[in-house]
Amino acid sequence: MSELRRDPITERWVIVNVDAPLSPADFHFQQHIWKGEKGCPFCYGNENLTPPEIEAVRPDKSEPNTPGWKVRVVANKYPALKIEGNLEKQGVRLYDMSNGIGAHEVIIDSPEHYKGIPDFDDNQVESIIKIYKSRTLDLTKDKRFKYILIFKNLGKAAGASLEHGHSQLIALPMIPKNVREEIRGAERYMSYHERCIFCDIIRQELGNHKERIIFENDKFITLLPLSSRFPFETWILPKEHKSSFMEIEEEDIPFLAKILKETLGRMREVLFNPPYNYVIHTSPINTEQPLGFHWHIEIMPKLSRTAGFEWGSGFYMVQTPPEIAAKYLRGELK
Amino acid sequence: MPQLRKDPIIGRWVIISTERGKRPHDFGKTYSGPPDKDCPFCEGREQQTPPEIYAVRPDGGSPDSKGWKVRVVPSIAPFLDNQGELWKKGIGLYDFIGAYGSHEVVVEIPNHTANMADLEEGQIKDVLTTYVKRIEALKRDKKIKYVLIFKNYGWQAGGGRVQHSRSQIIATPVNLKRVKEELEGSRKYYSYHERCVYCDIVREELDLKERIVLDVDGILAVVPFASRFPFEVWILPKKHSADFYKIDSEEKNSLAKALKEVLVKIKKLLNDPPYNYVIHTAPFRRAHKGYWTTIDEDYHWHIEVIPRLTQVAGFEWGTGFYICPTPPEEAAKYLREA
Repeated sequence: MSELRRDPITERWVIVNVDAPLSPADFHFQQHIWKGEKGCPFCYGNENLTPPEIEAVRPDKSEPNTPGWKVRVVANKYPALKIEGNLEKQGVRLYDMSNGIGAHEVIIDSPEHYKGIPDFDDNQVESIIKIYKSRTLDLTKDKRFKYILIFKNLGKAAGASLEHGHSQLIALPMIPKNVREEIRGAERYMSYHERCIFCDIIRQELGNHKERIIFENDKFITLLPLSSRFPFETWILPKEHKSSFMEIEEEDIPFLAKILKETLGRMREVLFNPPYNYVIHTSPINTEQPLGFHWHIEIMPKLSRTAGFEWGSGFYMVQTPPEIAAKYLRGELK
Repeated sequence: MPQLRKDPIIGRWVIISTERGKRPHDFGKTYSGPPDKDCPFCEGREQQTPPEIYAVRPDGGSPDSKGWKVRVVPSIAPFLDNQGELWKKGIGLYDFIGAYGSHEVVVEIPNHTANMADLEEGQIKDVLTTYVKRIEALKRDKKIKYVLIFKNYGWQAGGGRVQHSRSQIIATPVNLKRVKEELEGSRKYYSYHERCVYCDIVREELDLKERIVLDVDGILAVVPFASRFPFEVWILPKKHSADFYKIDSEEKNSLAKALKEVLVKIKKLLNDPPYNYVIHTAPFRRAHKGYWTTIDEDYHWHIEVIPRLTQVAGFEWGTGFYICPTPPEEAAKYLREA
């Protein structure tokens, strides 16, 4: 018999197939076929094919918009939101709307067309994280913005239109709904227990034979949430309570780089190089700071199709229970 | 300049790209495949499915034999069934309950047809009647709180390999998050305005006309103001009612007509794309402490039809914020003219 589990943060129920769990080999998705670096705007020498660079890591002090960079940030060529103008909110009879003010940037992870985070040396991954942080700090100065979302789409099925490894940043003038819900859940828990729910989850998972934990170092932990929406969904959390990603200390960045690399590397190996998304969940900016929120990264491999049931209900069916998925990811099951 | 629009019911924001609005032919994802010679849902192969739960048999006939028009069978891979106990437990932070409920497949036509758009209006009416009958039957089980009816057409929309038009029914022992959000949003709107938000949407859209896809007696199809997906369509009854299963016969005729026309338009305009539809209806009102007494006034059932034209990526998952590349007014115009 399968069971229903409730996410303690968002109160979302998921159905977990505990009887006949699917193994990594049971999922079918299209393998990535490389198109090649010809005309790729993210490769060395093609810097003129992107909008001008906003920021870059250039150890050799080379000129902007020329080769020599390690990580490079440019404006999205087809932005979902635009940075120019004042935020104008209005009501149109029944409906509320505003103009689409925001920032939409692309972070090119490296000059290497065919390499992903697991292939980079630690220093390269640290540079990516540092640039995530510096872009966040910079955009936070713009008081129009209330939320900064950093995410990665890898593979076409996960929404990536270009195959050269990159992440994206979107600064929004309002707090998105899922974030509000997560914060509300965390605040509700905090007001009753006077503890952070994410800290409690970490404590409970560490105390529970570590059955859903994959990696752990001094500063970070990788675990599979009990009520994951997707098979093999994985979270990376800082052990120390911090509400916002941009509060990450310089000396903690190498620990995050290491665990991110290990986690994505293990997923690639065990799940046969799946398309995936990861999203940094953090606190809103330029507004009152929520109590009891704890930043983290959610990684969602795209192994199954999301169907009408999930859209209509916010209720998810998970074909591999997270404790079984954790065994595969730790290499205890093959 | 792109626009940000807020869904008036659940407060979800979406980004509408207005400048480079995507035209129907920008998507083009045809769903096609060879007909299946061993389709277990075709008439004459009733033994290949689990025993039938319900069927429309105008000329009588025994269960699991030929002569049906619509047939309901249990899913062969059910996520929920009513065999076990509805146990509940908590471990530390976490809540668990037994997966009690029902998971059924509605086979919508006896001969092999893939898309519901190709069914006759009368046949679609029989499908709607079947939905109502199943909800009424499942309502008798006091452990069931919600019945969700939906369709996955095409592989990208979660449909199966066998291309025989069918929909699914899932009965759950818990209320669903999305439904709860809609109920809470409608209650909030009602308690301030003393009007149903969906009735207001119907009035507003009839007045403005620019987002209407079609208007059949008693039923309105619109592209919602803050649509998440390009060419998303909502079908609403003009008369206020919280429960789909209380639909009357005349409304059912109009709904069959509207649903057929919407699906035909989507098929024609968007080159037979994969799609989902979901019936949004109120949960059963089971009495318990804190029992929600205002649902009848607050809530308004409707059907959401979602062509699956774009990939939902990290941004959408992370935020619940959607980027819709076709402005709803443009989408509605295309659909009206299709």
